[in-house]
Amino acid sequence: MTTADSHNGRRLTARGAKTRARIVAAATDLMYIKGVGATTLDEVLAASGVSKSQLYHHFDGKDALVRAVIDHVGERVIEREREALGHVSTIRGLRRWRDALVQNNALRHGAYGCALGSLATEVSDHDALARQALSQLFTEWQGLLAGVLRRLQDSGALPPEASTDQLATGLMAALQGGYMLAQTARDVTPMATSIDMALAHIESLSER
Amino acid sequence: MRTHFAEVLARESVCLAGVTDGAKLAGWRRRVVEELMTPRSPYALAMRLTGDVPDRADFLDRWRELIAETVDRLLRSGTTGDTHFSSGQSRRADVDAQKTAVLILAALHGGSTLSQISKDPWPLNAALDLALAPFAAAEGNCPIDNMNP
Repeated sequence: MTTADSHNGRRLTARGAKTRARIVAAATDLMYIKGVGATTLDEVLAASGVSKSQLYHHFDGKDALVRAVIDHVGERVIEREREALGHVSTIRGLRRWRDALVQNNALRHGAYGCALGSLATEVSDHDALARQALSQLFTEWQGLLAGVLRRLQDSGALPPEASTDQLATGLMAALQGGYMLAQTARDVTPMATSIDMALAHIESLSER
Repeated sequence: MRTHFAEVLARESVCLAGVTDGAKLAGWRRRVVEELMTPRSPYALAMRLTGDVPDRADFLDRWRELIAETVDRLLRSGTTGDTHFSSGQSRRADVDAQKTAVLILAALHGGSTLSQISKDPWPLNAALDLALAPFAAAEGNCPIDNMNP
């Protein structure tokens, strides 16, 4: 059985796919905890237990590996968010979504931030392909939030003239900025405050 | 990294001290957006999650304090988007300067990250429209408070 390698188009055997997945999983963990810039290929080799030739068989270098990590993390985050937001149609549902994110981040005292947002702060400068992939992922995530806001509009909980795309982007920025403040403070409180303030504004629009 | 932090704080303490009404807040906002969208400006560099964590924490605390003082001053002087609220007085009393400052700082952080990956200032402006909603005159993407034109 073979599967396609999304980056070089080569067909992979089941064993090759497993090796590739092991490299990406190790790189994902290292880059999440240490940051993209501070993670070396030697560390990825050590953590995944694969040989240098195996790594270079799957990836041309660090940039290619970073792009694979973005795809991997993106898929995971979008799947989680689709499940969490796909059927939300009330402010209360949005608050439950907020509670889950804050609670999960609190387990680690906010130390590592959003898996996707952390990648965005580090790779946006030097790799246009990585930047575009991240931009598409965030657009997809914001689309899920905009969907919730449109359902709020349909039920009359949000006025029809409110710009759902703009509010969804503002809410995403509050979430991502909140993650970053929590990461620096090693305390989840600023993240909770930031999302709460953004949600309070959205809720207030229906009261006018 | 420390120099970027010091430079941003030096500029912000002067600029934010001069923000006494909605028009000046809009001017501050335009300048900060421009700085954040300029690659390798002290603002863009200071927003990165690199360098010493205690230094960065201190930088963010001090910037948040400067923003909170400004928000408090504007609230005391009555600079709010009163015309868009059904009851301006009670609305103003509801605004918490410290929490609003946290949201503004988060909007600057998160908004600039989204804007950098999309190479478009729109997300940063959308973030600030939401964060500065109590002061509707400081809007960027839309003339009034996140409503379609």
